[in-house]
Amino acid sequence: MALLEGRNLRKTYAPSRRTSVQALRGVDITIDEGEMVAIMGPSGSGKSTLMHILGLLHAPDPNHGPRPTLTFAGRDTAVLSEGERTRIRAREMGFVFQDFNLVPTLTALENVLLACDYAGLRGAPAKAAALEALALVGLAERADHRPAELSGGEQQRVAIARALVNRPTLILADEPTGNLDSERSGEVLGLLRQLNREQGQTFLLVTHDAEVGAACDRVVRMRDGLIRDHGLGVLRTHPVERSDAAVSA
Amino acid sequence: MKLLRNLARRKVRTGLTILGITIGIWALVVFGSMANKINSLVAGGSTYYQGKLSVSAKGGMMGVGGPMALAVGDQIAHLPGVDVVVPGVTMTLSDGASVASMGPPPMIVTAGAGRDRGRETFLTRYATGRAISAADAGANVTVLGSDLARQYKKHVGDMMTLRGQPFTVVGILEPTLTAPDTDAVVPLAAAQKLYLSTLPPLVAAKLNPYDIATGFTVYPAAGTSPETVASEIQQAIPDVSPMTGQDFDKQIGSATAMLNSILVGIALISLLVGGLSVINTMAMSIAERTREIGIKRAIGASRLRIVREVVAESALIGALGGTIGLVLGAAIVYLANEAGRGSGTILFELTSGTAVTAVVFATVLGAIAGLVPALHAARLDPVSALRYE
Repeated sequence: MALLEGRNLRKTYAPSRRTSVQALRGVDITIDEGEMVAIMGPSGSGKSTLMHILGLLHAPDPNHGPRPTLTFAGRDTAVLSEGERTRIRAREMGFVFQDFNLVPTLTALENVLLACDYAGLRGAPAKAAALEALALVGLAERADHRPAELSGGEQQRVAIARALVNRPTLILADEPTGNLDSERSGEVLGLLRQLNREQGQTFLLVTHDAEVGAACDRVVRMRDGLIRDHGLGVLRTHPVERSDAAVSA
Repeated sequence: MKLLRNLARRKVRTGLTILGITIGIWALVVFGSMANKINSLVAGGSTYYQGKLSVSAKGGMMGVGGPMALAVGDQIAHLPGVDVVVPGVTMTLSDGASVASMGPPPMIVTAGAGRDRGRETFLTRYATGRAISAADAGANVTVLGSDLARQYKKHVGDMMTLRGQPFTVVGILEPTLTAPDTDAVVPLAAAQKLYLSTLPPLVAAKLNPYDIATGFTVYPAAGTSPETVASEIQQAIPDVSPMTGQDFDKQIGSATAMLNSILVGIALISLLVGGLSVINTMAMSIAERTREIGIKRAIGASRLRIVREVVAESALIGALGGTIGLVLGAAIVYLANEAGRGSGTILFELTSGTAVTAVVFATVLGAIAGLVPALHAARLDPVSALRYE
């Protein structure tokens, strides 16, 4: 079952008045439920931009080509207001960024509780869910520590706990192991795989780390704003019912 | 509290910003208390003049001025609409005016002693002792206002020297927060004698000491306004100046209103500066937390939520500055009043209304000041904010 379906996705940024960057030049992509997908490519290939669009942080450009469409869990996102997109991000998606991105003045527990709060979950149920999420990533006993008191790997795991506390259908991670050494990377990667297998959540990982790609079900390769390879040629250990098995590479 | 942790991120900067609000609120509290005191004095006077008017010699005011014959009082009494007329003699307690006081100088006034026949509505209460009655006519007795008694440390039974004459204190008034607090009340005959002693000997020699009044308190009949009686008096009797409550409000009221405006205006200007400082601090704080805001927006914080978080922080800065300013202002008010008590100079009146207004105003000011930076923060594009170094 397709969770995300995007067609004709384009995005151009204008960093200054005279320069513009075509980050995406027309991308079609389908992500099925329960998949763990890596999006890889060199710098400037548009992989982060694609993630931002799939994560409803930006809307695709409507002009200069066929109309773009993006459906998330069957819903047409083009008709959604900014507030509605924010609500979907809060309740149905989880985000993990490269630089840990925890609020430094809050404890690990309070950082995770932020995600609960934004999704409308408060009080005792929120606290229980947050502690459970921290336990899932193995940090229950560090709940009262501030980010400064946690190692890089632990901070990243708190960010993962925050991303999954609301049991979202989709988790997007931008270079989740980018700032970690190989041992920590391995830990985090193993955790993500475990969560994907056990909780069934869909994972979208943007990375340039080949190890991350190897841990995923498939690797989508991008270059110059286009998808060159959907990675469907080689299916890994976790066969998923494909909805468009005939898409060519 | 999580908000406090955010403020503690940059203690010096936050501290200075809070200080800006503190100074503004401190000024508002101190000057506001001064204005309160003036307003109480004026309100007391305005209340006193309800339902009566005061007639003085031309050039005089409120019963203070040149001498008039008691016959003038009889003339007034015969006018239509006049119920009771009470003669009185009023003079300053001493010739050197007390400059430090915010209110009227200490006066020697005449006791009504029942001659108002119950018409007097401005009733003073007695802390100790008794009022002066008709039986005291001719005696040298006095009732002191609360501030005067404290200043000269007098109790019932003590001797008080008024203009060189010894008087026995028979009563002490409760505080009224207005003119009577600095008055010494004496029987009419005693007041007349004292008044004579203030005049140059040549002038005094020509006067009958018991035929003097410096002012008449006129009580209109039921259904007649003091203003009506005042114009009758103005037309019928030469060389006198009637003054009603309206006249009092116009003259004194407008002068004090101007003073009020100046005092409060100064305080508001300093608060405005404090508010600008809050805007600046919040803007800097948000700039430093751009990434954090980007993350919050990305993981699902609505724009309104971001605005609320920022405004809550700036409101807290306002509230802290307001509370500290109030405490400091209250301390100054208390100390100044205590220091002035010895000389009978109470300059400040800090009401709970002023206190609550100060803190609420500071909090609201902080919240409003944070609004512009908050709206800016809420409108940041999450993706750009995330990338911000």
